[in-house]
Amino acid sequence: MSRVKPTVDFIHAWRNPDDIADEVEAELRFHVQMRTNSNIEQGMTPEEARLAATQSFGDFDQVKVSCCEIKRGFPFDLKPLRMGVYIAIACLAGGISLWAVNVPHHNLFSVLWQLIAIAVLMRSFLIGRKRNNPHID
Amino acid sequence: MSKAKAGLLQGTLDMLILKALFLGPLHGYGVGQRIAQISGGELKIEEGSLYPGLYRLERRGWIESEWDVSENNQRAKFYKLTRAGRKQLIVEEQNWERLASATMKALRAN
Repeated sequence: MSRVKPTVDFIHAWRNPDDIADEVEAELRFHVQMRTNSNIEQGMTPEEARLAATQSFGDFDQVKVSCCEIKRGFPFDLKPLRMGVYIAIACLAGGISLWAVNVPHHNLFSVLWQLIAIAVLMRSFLIGRKRNNPHID
Repeated sequence: MSKAKAGLLQGTLDMLILKALFLGPLHGYGVGQRIAQISGGELKIEEGSLYPGLYRLERRGWIESEWDVSENNQRAKFYKLTRAGRKQLIVEEQNWERLASATMKALRAN
């Protein structure tokens, strides 16, 4: 059940990107405000406290962008999904190959079909193998 | 260990965030404070890097968040550990203990 909320958040992030950006900004601003308050308690002037808080936070805009990107990121591991797509393409190409083999080779068109299907089958096999093992040249 | 030089190994931040939230729900600022507190002030997290870490963990379903009112009556986003997060913390702790003990063994080797 722990995947339900990330999925809902993912859909929400894509449908309402401005809401997400505002939400992230509010959260980060809260952090800077808390740090500023802490600095004031330690004896800094409000201006010094604010400046020190901003500096210790780092690049505010970059952090905001990173957080928004993570929110919009796909909430599942894409590797099994990609493998599934390659398997589906390979099955389809295999099916077409079988069909093409059973078509009488009277004309150029059916031979062409057969060659295309075999090429797609080989290509999807090679891409799938390379993606799963990047060390293969 | 010098505080200034106490950098974090990759992946350690996630474990520390999970550990901080294991002790109870907190907002992002509180997570940083708690990590500093439980490490006796030795570990100081770069404040900005905390948030992408929190968002990543939430995306993995290990923590969840909701907006609430903070101790100073401001709206703040509070994070808490999920059941999957508790399990993950146990795994991370075991991995860390194995790594630390292996590293110590290597360093003590003659």
